[in-house]
Amino acid sequence: MNDSLTAGAGTSLTEGPPAGPRALRVPGDGPARARYVEDLLGDPFDAGNPHGQQALLAADERREVPSATEELLHRFGLAAEFVPRDLGGRLTGVEGLAQVLRPVFRRDVALGFGAGMTALFAASVVWTAGDERQRRDTALRLLGGGRFTILHREFAHANAILRGEYTARGVPGGGYVVDGRKEVVINADRADVFVSYVRTAPGDGPDSHSVFLLDTGRLPARAVRRLPRARTHGMRGAHYAGLELTHCPVPADALVGRQGEGVSLALRTFQVSRALVSGGALVGGMDSALRYAVRAAGESRRGLVLHGRRGRVLAGVFADLLACDSLAVAGLRLLDLAPEHALVPSAAVKYAVSALLHEDLDELAAVLGARGYDRGPTYGGFQKLVRDLPVAGLGHAGTADTQAVLVPHLRTLAHTARSGEPGHEAPAALFTPGAEEAALDFRRLDAEPRDPHNGCDGLLAALLGAAARLDGERGRGPRWAALADLARVFATEVRHLGERCAALLGRPDTGGLAPAAYVLVDRYCLLIAAASCLAVRENADPAAGDGGLLAEPDWALLALTRFGRRLGLEVPDLPDGVARDLAARLVDRYRDGRSFDLYGMRLT
Amino acid sequence: MSPDLDRNDSAPPVRGGSAGVTDDIDARDAGGVLGTLRRLGDLGVVVTAHGRAVAPPVHVPRPDSSWLRLREDLLDRGVTVAYATWTEWFPAVLTTPRLRPLLGRDWNRYTATRDPAVRCRFAASRLLIKYTAAAALGIGPEDIDIAYRLGGRPYLRGLDQIEVALTHTGELMAVGISRVGRIGLDAECADRRFDLDLMRGRMCTPSEAAELSVLARDEQAACLLRLWTLKEAYTKALGQGMRLAFTEFGFGLGEGGLRTPGGAAATGEEWAFATHPVLGRYLVSTACHDAGLDPDGDTSVGTMLDRRLLTAMTPPGEQGPGGDQGPPGERGPVADF
Repeated sequence: MNDSLTAGAGTSLTEGPPAGPRALRVPGDGPARARYVEDLLGDPFDAGNPHGQQALLAADERREVPSATEELLHRFGLAAEFVPRDLGGRLTGVEGLAQVLRPVFRRDVALGFGAGMTALFAASVVWTAGDERQRRDTALRLLGGGRFTILHREFAHANAILRGEYTARGVPGGGYVVDGRKEVVINADRADVFVSYVRTAPGDGPDSHSVFLLDTGRLPARAVRRLPRARTHGMRGAHYAGLELTHCPVPADALVGRQGEGVSLALRTFQVSRALVSGGALVGGMDSALRYAVRAAGESRRGLVLHGRRGRVLAGVFADLLACDSLAVAGLRLLDLAPEHALVPSAAVKYAVSALLHEDLDELAAVLGARGYDRGPTYGGFQKLVRDLPVAGLGHAGTADTQAVLVPHLRTLAHTARSGEPGHEAPAALFTPGAEEAALDFRRLDAEPRDPHNGCDGLLAALLGAAARLDGERGRGPRWAALADLARVFATEVRHLGERCAALLGRPDTGGLAPAAYVLVDRYCLLIAAASCLAVRENADPAAGDGGLLAEPDWALLALTRFGRRLGLEVPDLPDGVARDLAARLVDRYRDGRSFDLYGMRLT
Repeated sequence: MSPDLDRNDSAPPVRGGSAGVTDDIDARDAGGVLGTLRRLGDLGVVVTAHGRAVAPPVHVPRPDSSWLRLREDLLDRGVTVAYATWTEWFPAVLTTPRLRPLLGRDWNRYTATRDPAVRCRFAASRLLIKYTAAAALGIGPEDIDIAYRLGGRPYLRGLDQIEVALTHTGELMAVGISRVGRIGLDAECADRRFDLDLMRGRMCTPSEAAELSVLARDEQAACLLRLWTLKEAYTKALGQGMRLAFTEFGFGLGEGGLRTPGGAAATGEEWAFATHPVLGRYLVSTACHDAGLDPDGDTSVGTMLDRRLLTAMTPPGEQGPGGDQGPPGERGPVADF
């Protein structure tokens, strides 16, 4: 498959940046290109590899972009991954895109953002609402090597990355004048195009902001001031810097979509960003973190015989990672298959994956012990992940952004509870990683929840369905029976959550405004993680490559047990041997050189 | 479900049980230990990466005491620590008519605890967490849902603008709040008796042992006790307690900061540590993580949802959530005792 890419890697990669869209029109699906990128970046632990951990950590230590690797990705045409196929790029579905990005994120989270995904976060507004000229120009700029970044508006409880914003005034005769300043914007010191959320009306209304495509080549130099690099604890190699605009004239045709459409466009395009941060950066980063811990266990006295506490921790994190990936992939596939339904699920994906994996990172630190502080190429990547991953999730501001979408969803949950109907289950197609690739149509992304008054939650309904069907599997053995029991506990909790939402929203005083709403959102997100885990297990192929791991009950049993404890539910003890057996499967993947996510991809 | 929170923080090792210890007792005088640490420059504030420092713990003797200082420390420094004796909060446990809603999910555990002193101390520590967190969040203490990570670290479900930490030893209970990252706390009685050689062997890295060896014996004892609290505070901030072996990481005695067992700097600027004397007889160590995102100083619940997103998400005629919480600071915890 690799030779279908740009007519042979050896030649195209030495010929400098691709000339144009025609040269980049390559066949090959997401998984094939993911393997290609994996091979391109090579063995991370080969000391002679210019794209290995040694080089990447040294660049991070110097607070520099690993330029050789960035250049390599550029020559591969990473930008084409962010340009829809009908505009000359390679982008079809985001599930495939996340797979292509994982090899990068497994090696360097900051590079994945700085050299990669940020461009899509910016361009997605154009794919969603740009006119034909803007779409064509953006595609050409990206394919020609232009660098795009995004200027967010200021959010509630903003951190450094989301602080500050710009304001535009209309001028007689058309066009705008923009003023403002932000201090911490990725690639602000070297971007060619800024997709900018700019205030165009006063107040807190939903039409206060608009999106402009600011091409620095078209702006007067006197009005644009690039500010120095900001010093960050994490993603030290990424270029976080500031941008100040002073009386900056902006032509009327730079407006993307309608004036006042900015908040709506953010609600639409952030769905893609949240799903890719979860399914690309967080899952990819955690895959590597777990690999460092398995390696450390292997170097200890007892070697890779994972009994006892270490084995339980590693198996537990493996189960969490598979469950988080189940949720992330369901979110990505939902975007590809039915983007108009992705608003709430994509927010829940980000909320849950980010919370779960950060907790797991600490568990792994205890397994790594002193090796976790090593700065050398063998383990130094772990401490880098500890620094980088919190920046990827954006901390509390990132959470609050998802909560603004999730809290209103409690109405739907309350409604479902009152109606007494479980609702329609989300289709099995969401839970079959890698099946039939569909192309994400950005224009179908929706800024409002579908039918909040009569709608239901397909993911929670899927949990109820999976739990009911597991009852019929009890005869297959004690672990199946244990999973059926556990699924029943979760099904009860789904109903309980609905009742609590109904009670909260029925309160005459504050109703859905109460602080309890955030508690319910948190519980909801853990429940849909459990739902995705059960549904992926149910739809997995027992005859698949690694002995049908995903179709077996063990990983779901362990993941749900951990989710249950996080929810404060009374969960039974695991049947004997579950953690030990799952740890053995983890070791198999480690020894076979396969990724720890749902795809079990061959690593270099 | 909350091992880290409720174990009476692990005690340093004592040789041969509690009775009849004589020559092995190296730290017996609280004032002397605190004086030694002060002389060595080991007490007080440590400046963090952003130039902030962990402020000294603030005494909050009752639920209706002023929380202003804590709010200010949280705003200015990102971190604040409240402390009290559980006997000071005991009247509140006894007299509040709202103990059950205040304890929430912990109510069953409270009623199931038979020993009255243990039961009251448990309730008092829960009230201290809830009131301290409520002061930071601008909501009522009964609105706080304390949940536990798998390793036992407490957190506030759904409200990740602050992280919380709890420690108690003897009479003392202390609660830490951070808006910049994870936080861990540990308190010990300054006159805690322990076996110096045993403790050094069990918890010190080679470089710590080397640094200690040049000190006088009473200084070693004081430094060891402080090291113990630092290590406890750090592993509790990670939510791991003693699952992360204390010999796997260390601290620089002189310059402070996290070190590898060999003595090299272990992390960058993201961790800050401090040890403070409290009530003239306790040591309280704080481990503060700074994720480096420079989050907003406003931690109140009423302002956390973006108004524009909410309005866009809410059909006309429906009131958006979070609307009537009032401005930050106006809905502080209500003194109800």
